[in-house]
Amino acid sequence: MAFIVVFGPLLAAIIAGLFHKQIGTRASQLITTGATIAAALASAWLFVDVAILGNARTYELAQWMAVGNFDISWDIRLDSLSAVMLVVVTSVSALVHVYSWGYMADDPHRSRFFAYLSLFTFAMLSLVTADNFLQMFFGWEGVGLASYLLIGFWYKKKSANDAAIKAFVTNRVGDFGLALGVMAVFAVFGTLDFDTVFGQVDDGTVQTLTLFGLEFMALELIAFLLFIGAMGKSAQFFLHVWLPDAMEGPTPVSALIHAATMVTAGVFLVCRCYPIYELAPNTSAIITFIGATTALFAATVGLAQNDIKRVIAYSTCSQLGYMFFAAGLGLYSAAMFHLFTHAFFKALLFLGAGSVIHGLHHEQDMRNMGGIYKLLPVTWLMMIIGTLALTGVGIPLLNLGFAGFFSKDMIIEEAFMAGADGVTFGYFAFVVAIIAAGLTSFYSWRLIFMTFHGKFRGDKHTLDHAHESPWVMIVPLLLLAIGAIFAGGLFRSDFVARGALEFWGGSLPPGPYAEGNYGEGAHGHHPPTWVLFSPIAVTVLGFVLAYWFYVVKEGLPAKIAARGGPLHSFLANKWYFDEIYDFIFVRGARGLGDLFWKVGDRRIIDGFGPDGVAGTVMQAGRRIVRLQSGYLYHYAFVMLIGVLGLAVWLVARAGGQ
Amino acid sequence: MTGPALLADLSLIIPELILAVGAMGLLLAGVFIKGEETAARLVSLAAMALLILAAGVAVFLAPQGGGTAFFGAFVLDSFSLYAKAVVYLAAAIALVLAGHYLRTERLARFEFPVLILLATLGMSVMVSAGDLIALYLGLELQSLALYILAAFNRDSLRASEAGLKYFVLGALSSGLLLYGASLVYGFAGSTEFGAIALAAENPSVGLVFGLVFVVSGLAFKISAAPFHMWTPDVYEGAPTPVAAFFATAPKLAAMVLLIRVLMEPFGAMADQWQQITIILAILSMGIGALGALLQTNIKRLMAYSSIGNMGYALVGLSAASEAAVWAVLLYMTLYVIGVAGAFGVILSMRRAEGMVERIEDLAGLSKSRPGLALAFTGLLLSIGGMPFLVGFFGKLFVFYAAVQAGLVWLAVIGGLFSAISIAYYLMILKRVWFDEPTGGEFINPPASVAIITRVTGIATVGLLLLVPFMLTRVIEAGSAIGG
Amino acid sequence: MFEIGLGHYLTLAAILFTIGVFGIFVNRKNVIILLMSIELILLAVNVNMVAFSSHLGDMTGQVFAMLILTVAAAEAAVGLAILVVFFRNRGDIAVEGVNLMKG
Repeated sequence: MAFIVVFGPLLAAIIAGLFHKQIGTRASQLITTGATIAAALASAWLFVDVAILGNARTYELAQWMAVGNFDISWDIRLDSLSAVMLVVVTSVSALVHVYSWGYMADDPHRSRFFAYLSLFTFAMLSLVTADNFLQMFFGWEGVGLASYLLIGFWYKKKSANDAAIKAFVTNRVGDFGLALGVMAVFAVFGTLDFDTVFGQVDDGTVQTLTLFGLEFMALELIAFLLFIGAMGKSAQFFLHVWLPDAMEGPTPVSALIHAATMVTAGVFLVCRCYPIYELAPNTSAIITFIGATTALFAATVGLAQNDIKRVIAYSTCSQLGYMFFAAGLGLYSAAMFHLFTHAFFKALLFLGAGSVIHGLHHEQDMRNMGGIYKLLPVTWLMMIIGTLALTGVGIPLLNLGFAGFFSKDMIIEEAFMAGADGVTFGYFAFVVAIIAAGLTSFYSWRLIFMTFHGKFRGDKHTLDHAHESPWVMIVPLLLLAIGAIFAGGLFRSDFVARGALEFWGGSLPPGPYAEGNYGEGAHGHHPPTWVLFSPIAVTVLGFVLAYWFYVVKEGLPAKIAARGGPLHSFLANKWYFDEIYDFIFVRGARGLGDLFWKVGDRRIIDGFGPDGVAGTVMQAGRRIVRLQSGYLYHYAFVMLIGVLGLAVWLVARAGGQ
Repeated sequence: MTGPALLADLSLIIPELILAVGAMGLLLAGVFIKGEETAARLVSLAAMALLILAAGVAVFLAPQGGGTAFFGAFVLDSFSLYAKAVVYLAAAIALVLAGHYLRTERLARFEFPVLILLATLGMSVMVSAGDLIALYLGLELQSLALYILAAFNRDSLRASEAGLKYFVLGALSSGLLLYGASLVYGFAGSTEFGAIALAAENPSVGLVFGLVFVVSGLAFKISAAPFHMWTPDVYEGAPTPVAAFFATAPKLAAMVLLIRVLMEPFGAMADQWQQITIILAILSMGIGALGALLQTNIKRLMAYSSIGNMGYALVGLSAASEAAVWAVLLYMTLYVIGVAGAFGVILSMRRAEGMVERIEDLAGLSKSRPGLALAFTGLLLSIGGMPFLVGFFGKLFVFYAAVQAGLVWLAVIGGLFSAISIAYYLMILKRVWFDEPTGGEFINPPASVAIITRVTGIATVGLLLLVPFMLTRVIEAGSAIGG
Repeated sequence: MFEIGLGHYLTLAAILFTIGVFGIFVNRKNVIILLMSIELILLAVNVNMVAFSSHLGDMTGQVFAMLILTVAAAEAAVGLAILVVFFRNRGDIAVEGVNLMKG
């Protein structure tokens, strides 16, 4: 079974990639899609076998090298954690494959696209089934490579190319942190095998490593370096810049890579290495802080976006922030639960947005949309379900709600409890999470209203040709919608509540509500009722505000202008009132978002980040090239300065000691 | 020296004898063969045969356990044998790459292979040096041959300028090295590495000065910044196959020599020379990464790339441990393979009207020559250290050596620069894969060059399977030194 | 009368060496002077070698010096040959003219 899951997509990618000329486009589509569907079914079976029935195991496929302690093999590790990831990856991948039949129907290079998709799936699967750090690193690089190919799939489009390169370079920074982390693991523990490392993880608390003249506890340093890798891949604050730009790729890619799978690899990494993070409180605090900051930051930026996919991209960024601060607070199972539910509803939202884009002939600007719910009724309904799931609508205490309700509220409540227990940044995370939940609700509904309601604002020609998507695109939406509705309620018990201890079977700490933990701390461990209700309260508030400003108010300015007279001034006064409202809430919030986006994203990050760095680097390059004057005497002079400099340095150092 | 002792010594230098006698013989033979091109072809083939023979002797017929000859001046151990084998093969590859180019550019003269043989002989002496005198003689034999090779196209102003620059700066660097050698001799009381090692345990200021000068002279040969200034100009001006040769065998030989000098005679002064290599490493990585970004000429770009790569090797060497030795050895081997292939691609950039060497001439290569484009992609990314390609392991292990020695911060800096350097490899690859072709198609490269690019291109992936084997080899070679 | 000792020889060598090195990068007129400067550097090294050799009572330094002399001759020959080739192509040997390739 495990072999079908991992190698099916690889085989399909090879066949479709190398032989598509011989077998034709349709056949390569069939092979890749068939292989991933088979993989999805097999992983469902594995999920039941491994996670529910508790048959964790590891297959060793090949020993790759054994030189001294450097013993590396290629394994398929099946435990509950990887089984969860397998289900998420293969099922979303299979649906995206199917969806792409419709979405990419007009593209002449479809077979290449499908080959890349399958290749990506294989890389992601080998990442999550890794049994040692090196294999994980290879999978990590593999998904990076495949995502680079997919973002830049429309390589004739300059923006797509630039975005691909930006993603690639930003990820290099993160990956380098990861590589260093892996090396540090090897330097400290002498092995890269997960079980062995986690078994002797206590040693790392004693040893120290020196970096920039400062001594660090080895484990903290390892944890931090690994987290840098996670930040890059999961688009956390400072390294998030590539994610919105990556929306230049085809929409199914965004759904697969930038919502459900690759970007969650960072969360997976932190969860997989939880024994390290458990003993690295400082790094965990940093993770909490970065995660919470990202959750808030991305949510505010989401308010100011007009590109439908960018809104969802920032939303993804924000939700990943939730997962990270949950992991930082030690709630690994809750983070994985949110990862699991998020995969469904975010993929649903992306694919829904793709359906809108497809229906409107590749229009992505929400300002040119509006009122199309009658034309795309199914898409509309699916997007509503996705939004309800994302914003976490549900009724507390009754345990009734959409998927996001269970996972997100779980994280928010536990953040509060962590704060009550005195965990660093616990209350901070809680407050930020509540605010971000409100913002999430606002921008999500804004997206729905701007896209589907009100008057159509684009050009008439597009409207006339707007159409509902074909069934190959609708069916994946329906399946994901089922996940978005039920995944939370169905699996809550297994992931984070009573059954968690049995479910995770040692691959993750089960969390405070697990069976074993239920007895003793049960009474003390109940958040106050107001905490339970606050997320849904801010969610409703966000919805109401969005409704007010994007539906109720929408026709208002036109009417005012038409009537004029005293009524006008009366209405105008009300309008002033509105304007204050508008100023405080909409413009204020949007202004904040704009500020974050323009100052935060454009100036600060891009200023020092890839774009700005590129400029600085080029400038430095120009200087160096100018130094290379071509004159012999300059060259000789530089050499001499070099010798003298080295000699003086050494002698001065020797004298100083 | 008595007869049996001399014979025992000579038995250790059979590869060198093959090269030396062969070079003399071929020099004579070349004069008597009629027809310049025929002479060049025959001598070139004979030189390749000699190099492969010498490599075979070094690999298969080396005396068990090695030994020393000529009162310790010549050391034969697993370290020098490994380096010799790689150097000989790299020189043979350079000859294969050169043949067709020299014929079409009307440069085919039999002196070319003879000079390559002499340079290789010099390198061979360098990697086996156990004494400052042997070190100097090997280095000079190699350098004098290389000066001439750089200016081999004597009707070209560029080539002669390249030769002149290389000569003047090279002579200056030899002067620095010699001055350092004289100080080392004076303050250590001997030119033998073993005796110097004893003196280095309580270093005097004079010895520190000597060390700085010697290392500076050697840094010139591996083109580590700030002694790198000649590299871009010489690579650009010299005939392309000569640049290919410069970038491979001499770099490896000089690096191996540097490792031996630092680890053996100056092993006890690691605290001092570590600071030097760290400074050199940072400067080289920086200049290599930044300087390459703005280049339009592919040969100049390869020059900056080689400067940067020497920086990474020096990062490993800075660890001053046994791991450092084998990591650098592995790194250099993989680097030589990658660069040989990349120069093969550059030598394939020939249009009907002649050779081209601007990066933009590569535009659309993926459409006109997909195989070549694929090989180039693998080679460049392997040199850049991308995972999945064999070059990654080179970088991985040099950084690993640095991390192990507690130089995490140096590895961090190295990683940042390698991220920058990936950018310019990607810029080239963007042209290769995504740009529309400009200008005419490249004409078919000769089979010899095509085979080298294909084989090295496949090696960037295929060698992954052999990495464990290579690791055991370099670890064995490295164990002879260091520790 | 003071006795001329090792220190004096070393100082002389250092001065010669410095003059040689300066000759390489201060001179901007004639490449021949570069060759002369290189000879001067090697001369300085030889002075060092012989002085140390005599000071240490060890022959190695003098052997080294002889070898340096030999190599220096070969080096000068190669250098002059390259210079002749350069002159044939360019028509003059001003150091400032050796500047075709840069960047």
